[in-house]
Amino acid sequence: MPDAPTQQQDRRRRLLRTIVGRGGAYLILIGFAAIMLFPFVYMATGAVKTPSDTFRYPPKVLPRVPLVAEIDGEEREVFSLDFGSGEERAVLVETGVDAGLFVDPDDPERAVPWPLELATETGSSVNMEGESLPTYEVELVAGTETLALQRNTAVGRFQQLDGDGVTYAVPRTATPAETIEAQWGNFSEVIGLRDLDRALTNTMLVTILVVAGTLFTSIMGGYAFARVRFPGRDKMFLAYLGSIMIPFIVLIIPLFQLMVGLGWVNSIGSLVWPFLFNAYGTFLMRQFFIAIPKDLEEAAFIDGAKRGRILWTIFVPLSWPAIATLATFMFLYAWNSFIWPLVSINVANADNFVLTLALQQLGGTAGESPNLLFAGIVLSVLVPFTVFAFAQRYFVENVATSGIK
Amino acid sequence: MDTLTPTRTPEVSSQDLPLAVMLGWRIIVALGLIAATIAVAFAVGIEVEGTLRWVFTAALAISSALAVLSIQWTRTLIHRGRAVGFFLDYLIAVGGAFAMAQAADLFVGLDTAAARFNESALFLLITVVGWFIGGFAERTSNPALVRRISRSTMAAGLAVLLISMGLLPGLLEFARRLTGPSVFIPLVVALIAGYSARLLWSDRAARAFNTDQRQAEVLDGFFFVSPNLIGFLTFLAGPLLVSLFISFTDWDGLTEASFVGLENYGRLFSDSVFLTSLRNILVFGLVAVPASVIPGLFLAALLNSKLPGMKVFRAIYFLPSIAGVVGVTLIWKNLLNATVGFVNYGILRVTELFGSITGAELEAAQPLWISGSSVALFSVMIVFAWQQLGFNTVLFLAGMQGIDQSLYEAADIDGASAWNRFRSITVPLLKPTTVFVVTNATILALQLFNEPFILQAPSPPNGPNNSTLSPVIYLYQNAFQRFRQGYASAVAWALFALIFAITLIYFARQDDEGVLSA
Repeated sequence: MPDAPTQQQDRRRRLLRTIVGRGGAYLILIGFAAIMLFPFVYMATGAVKTPSDTFRYPPKVLPRVPLVAEIDGEEREVFSLDFGSGEERAVLVETGVDAGLFVDPDDPERAVPWPLELATETGSSVNMEGESLPTYEVELVAGTETLALQRNTAVGRFQQLDGDGVTYAVPRTATPAETIEAQWGNFSEVIGLRDLDRALTNTMLVTILVVAGTLFTSIMGGYAFARVRFPGRDKMFLAYLGSIMIPFIVLIIPLFQLMVGLGWVNSIGSLVWPFLFNAYGTFLMRQFFIAIPKDLEEAAFIDGAKRGRILWTIFVPLSWPAIATLATFMFLYAWNSFIWPLVSINVANADNFVLTLALQQLGGTAGESPNLLFAGIVLSVLVPFTVFAFAQRYFVENVATSGIK
Repeated sequence: MDTLTPTRTPEVSSQDLPLAVMLGWRIIVALGLIAATIAVAFAVGIEVEGTLRWVFTAALAISSALAVLSIQWTRTLIHRGRAVGFFLDYLIAVGGAFAMAQAADLFVGLDTAAARFNESALFLLITVVGWFIGGFAERTSNPALVRRISRSTMAAGLAVLLISMGLLPGLLEFARRLTGPSVFIPLVVALIAGYSARLLWSDRAARAFNTDQRQAEVLDGFFFVSPNLIGFLTFLAGPLLVSLFISFTDWDGLTEASFVGLENYGRLFSDSVFLTSLRNILVFGLVAVPASVIPGLFLAALLNSKLPGMKVFRAIYFLPSIAGVVGVTLIWKNLLNATVGFVNYGILRVTELFGSITGAELEAAQPLWISGSSVALFSVMIVFAWQQLGFNTVLFLAGMQGIDQSLYEAADIDGASAWNRFRSITVPLLKPTTVFVVTNATILALQLFNEPFILQAPSPPNGPNNSTLSPVIYLYQNAFQRFRQGYASAVAWALFALIFAITLIYFARQDDEGVLSA
């Protein structure tokens, strides 16, 4: 068998190629997943940050708050300072300690503010940048060094939290110690601030009515187009099909005028009543119904059943996948629609806001508290994400069917 | 379908129908419609402004003629009498019910319901729980019982919700409003017309009018399609025509419109702001569409390999399409913040990293993503492509799953590499899907509105130097801020024409495909 080694080699090469190929595939997929998820992670953690934390630079993903410690029954800010063995937590115990700003003659960039009482004058001086500065023996945490006194200043005395070390630093520039902590109160605050709960329930009500109404009209119409013969049916269906591609913005002005004429403008009804029918939904139901075998209904016909009964007892139970697909489509459409509420609902009428409108208003005014804005966005995506988690199949199916048309 | 003709002998004769009463009702309907026609045409009692008056008059005149004819047809029991009578009665019933609801403020009453719903929405959870119980029915030993429990829980939840929303006081209030003649009269008319329609729809009427199966089907057809058709005509076809008409007028939306012919359209071509918006949207489409389509194609090819975990990735990519454009854009607005945003921070860190590897002195670019006129449109592209990518991926994936697997198996035997299989099987066979994805993304891109509107707020959505102005934003500003609704309608129709042209190209391309594959 002279071929055996090459065969084995070939197999090994194939295996290697598969491993590299799959590894590469996962790497790309994970990379894109990170790009897709990062804004949502940023939103979720941003929702539980403090306002100042959202403006921090460099930005951090996790929510951080300044650490406080209770000392003698008093809440004190905790700092992170060097006590000779790395950064440790400390509290400020005394301010206004007379100090000097000492600079390193060998490295003028390095400046240490330190109390004068821990420095002894050597009597000599150094010339730095054309200035003659006196030098001191300074007892720093890490040891004594000879430094030049540039000018006088004041420092704070810091006491180590978990020990008895003492160090000095300018309180204003000392690094505060931080801990990761979520501000759950942001959610209740944003609800109270902007009546976001009202916007949430309004959106729910509008969505429920639009989904239920569209399902009803689409099932009825889809059945008529699929199974009942009446004059002009096919032309009418063609008109429906064509209307799917009409952009909504062409209708927005006459629809607004119609709402004004009927006195519905600025009411929640204006977000519901014009949207109880959907040409795409009718088309979807018709396509599904037309594929149902005719024998199923013929027996019922011979028994003298009416069409309405046949529709609701034979067709509808067979069509749950199509109905669920249409329901998810309408759900997203109703939940996320923005331009129509923007046109129809008055900005001053916060009672009739839907979530998209409330968020847009919040985004325009919450410049100084993005954390509350993020909390609002979290509330707005909570319901769609939950529905998606349970009905993922139908969302995907909806996209797939829209591609087949 | 002829086999479906009832074989039983009629048990009820035509005498069972109150023919005299029905004939009387037909006469009342005809007289009523004629009176209404005259009232609208000569503005007696009913004042309808402008062009609408003539539309109404024509519609009423036709209905009157039909109503008069239906008297004769009913008297002679011609089946056409049943159809026309049913049609008129149905319309009168719907119209009456609408007038009643409008007079009783039922349509705008949804505001009150929404306020109550805010306090009792939690009761919806009962219904949701009931729905979940139903989901477990198949796994239990007695599915029928569990399903019944599920159904009654859902019904109970709805009942509790409606009662806590004030259904009973609401009904009492409605009953009180019924005493007003503007509510009461339409209601009575609607009830009589509805009853008459119901009677005409019955088998008894079908036999009395000697209707055959085919003719009976027409009634059913119009009845089933009617909820949809009424919506289609009122909220789509009607407004569409009105929109076209408005585009030929100079109208502020409040006072009388004046007809100006094609003037609005002529002005479009010399309006530098509109032309800027067109240029913006074309640049936007040329970048944002490929940016959301091409990665989608590759991601779908990767997802289509039957490796574990693909469903999780698909779900993750789809999340942005679920989240809603307003929330998503607001998140990106913060990410793109020039001073504290993660995007600029990321650029800084990557530049530093790159500099430390190569040893080169690099200055990290820190663009003003929102307020810089050269990058503002680019920010919009980022948000659009990011949100559209997953949707396109799922579309491509669906298309790929329709490709015959045996082709791949044959290629495998020939030892084709993954890249070759992708290039010579997937891409060519996926062309119909690709054409659809590109068309769909292009149409969405042409209607750009939300992203720049939210990114630029509280500044005007035009962006710095009109750099993010899209035709829809221009339309919105003209229609609802400057109240030039005629001109705005012309903008809408110009955009519609563009979208229509792209759709036509799409259908032409799809047709090509059909010829090739045949």
